[in-house]
Amino acid sequence: MSPAVRGIFGVVGGAAVLALLRMASFVPYTAERDVGAIVRLAWRARGERVQDCRRRTPDELAKLPAHMRQEEVCEGRILPYRLVVEMDGAAAVNQLIHGAGAREDRPLYVFQDLVVSPGTHRIGVSFTREGAPPADSATGAGALTTPARLTLDTVLALGPRRIVLVTYDEEREQLVVHDGSAR
Amino acid sequence: MLLESVKRGARRGLAWTDAALNRVYGWRYNPLYHSGAVVLVLFLVLLVTGVYLLFVYHISAPYDSIVQITRQAWLGRWMRGVHRYASDAAVIAAAFHALRMLVQGRSWGPRTLAWISGLILLGCVFICGWTGFVMVWDVQGQVLAQTGARIFDLLPIFGEPISRAFTGERALPGAFFFLNLFAHVALPIGLFILVWVHVSRLARPGLFPPRRLTWWLSGALLALAVFWPVAVTPPADAFMLPGRAAYDWFYVFWVPLARAVSPGAMWGISLAAGAVALAIPWITRPRLARRPPASVVDERFCTGCEQCYLDCPYEAIAMVDRPDASETGKSALVARVDPALCVSCGLCAGSCAPMGVGPAGRTGRAQLTVVRDFIAAQRPEARDVVLVVCDRGAGGVAGATEFEGARVYPVSCGGNLHTSVVEFLLRAGAGGVLIVSCPPRDCWNREGPKWLEERLFHEREAELRERVDRRRVRLVHASAGERALVRGALAAFRADVAALETATAESDIDLERLCELAEAGTEAPR
Repeated sequence: MSPAVRGIFGVVGGAAVLALLRMASFVPYTAERDVGAIVRLAWRARGERVQDCRRRTPDELAKLPAHMRQEEVCEGRILPYRLVVEMDGAAAVNQLIHGAGAREDRPLYVFQDLVVSPGTHRIGVSFTREGAPPADSATGAGALTTPARLTLDTVLALGPRRIVLVTYDEEREQLVVHDGSAR
Repeated sequence: MLLESVKRGARRGLAWTDAALNRVYGWRYNPLYHSGAVVLVLFLVLLVTGVYLLFVYHISAPYDSIVQITRQAWLGRWMRGVHRYASDAAVIAAAFHALRMLVQGRSWGPRTLAWISGLILLGCVFICGWTGFVMVWDVQGQVLAQTGARIFDLLPIFGEPISRAFTGERALPGAFFFLNLFAHVALPIGLFILVWVHVSRLARPGLFPPRRLTWWLSGALLALAVFWPVAVTPPADAFMLPGRAAYDWFYVFWVPLARAVSPGAMWGISLAAGAVALAIPWITRPRLARRPPASVVDERFCTGCEQCYLDCPYEAIAMVDRPDASETGKSALVARVDPALCVSCGLCAGSCAPMGVGPAGRTGRAQLTVVRDFIAAQRPEARDVVLVVCDRGAGGVAGATEFEGARVYPVSCGGNLHTSVVEFLLRAGAGGVLIVSCPPRDCWNREGPKWLEERLFHEREAELRERVDRRRVRLVHASAGERALVRGALAAFRADVAALETATAESDIDLERLCELAEAGTEAPR
């Protein structure tokens, strides 16, 4: 192979590799196929905390190092909420949402995607605390606790591939809808 | 068994590709031979372009700043393009580097550290890439972030699900982009330490490719960035499902799978793939009986010259004090091989004039026995050319006893060949000795061809003795896929040998006696 031919092959080969690199770097892909639109339910709720507290006995306290002698110990959890969603009159979700964490003592998180066809849909959402704290239970309830029941009943208009977000507005203490248009 | 057939197939494919690239670019500039060093050069390119991008990127308006950069036709656009294409090319180069090490059986034993650190380096390259794409905050960045968050949400270590950050409930905080930027910039600093670990067991690591290849590579990336710039893809939108967009498959290859299976399954697949990759040194390790033995020093012959210590490509040989130096009158230092570091390349055997070191069966003394038997069996004649070929390359000629009418004398590596073998072949009457080694940057033992050439023609210990007619010795480099090159070199050398005066076998050479002495270890044969 003469140097000239090698040079041509070298340049053409190099260009071909670069072209392949460019093509692999920009491959058209649709991450979400065959999906009409999404109603996304996502919020964080500070539920009602119920606690069982007891006083340690003097024997128990004596066994603990001085700096750990806390007289009262409490174990608590967040009361669950039931999430019920109806879409155009049909039940779409009926789920008990527990507090996060292994002890269920962290806030509750709702994160659900409901696939719907583009168009208008009537949605009904209820988020209701399950159970009430016993009268004799110490509670960690504070001013920021999410109300025992949240509801939403509205009509949503969704274009193709659009996502509408149903979320909880802590200031207004109600479920609200965002469709991105306010941004 | 299956792995072996896969490796054989991959080796054939690699040999064919190497041969094609050698024909076009020559072995000196074959980019595949420099794949590891190419990654480092690309890393430096990324560093230079990244420093510029760092100054013009704003975490408060990530997408808008990328749009601004791309609009700067004379600098920003091609800086971004080179940055992007260099990161893609780094993945390709790293993949070829790993493939070559794997199929050539260079992934186990003392090379385990390099394999594992290489995998960690590759993982860091991917993390740098992912954080870089998220920083753009276009559709691709959003998909990467959401898919990654979905997988990580399975871990019970986060106070609240990461996925919620991308729902549009509130605007993404600047801290998110700051964290990405921090990881994107901080990780490469750590990569330098990892690169040091990666090559820590190598003597004279080849960190950079030839200068010309470096310039060609950088120029090619620049040309690509100028003529085919990186386009701006649509911005991320929390209220819109990601539509059809262009994705970088070098970094986003896993996303379709991650979106098709559950996060738990994705964790399972990723952990299994990672475990297999990390276990390669143990999976590919030959059985104990088939494992090549480490080099051993026969201290009786060691003169303390340090040549094996200097030549060892893996720093497996140390010079230590000889305990009985004063009593025996021998050298104060003696070579010692650390079997944990020795890959059994046998390069030390070729470096030792008194033939006192090497792996069992491949020491200089063992080679003398083999060449004696070869001469006795083949009886090379005055016009004959003997082909001394490396087992691993040389157009795959080593497996045959004869090639184009020339007797074939195989060696495990060109660097293992002791120059005495060449001398004795010629003194026994061969017209010429054509040595075919692998191209220097493709040597399975790193520096075999380099040391061989210096020993044959540049008086490096153990040099080919002065009395040997250099016109009758030739060294060519051919990879496993270059049989035609060997054929051509043989024909040319034969013609040159034919033009020389007729070679005569020496009458005073007593190979039998020399070999007996060598076997008995009573006398150094040189």
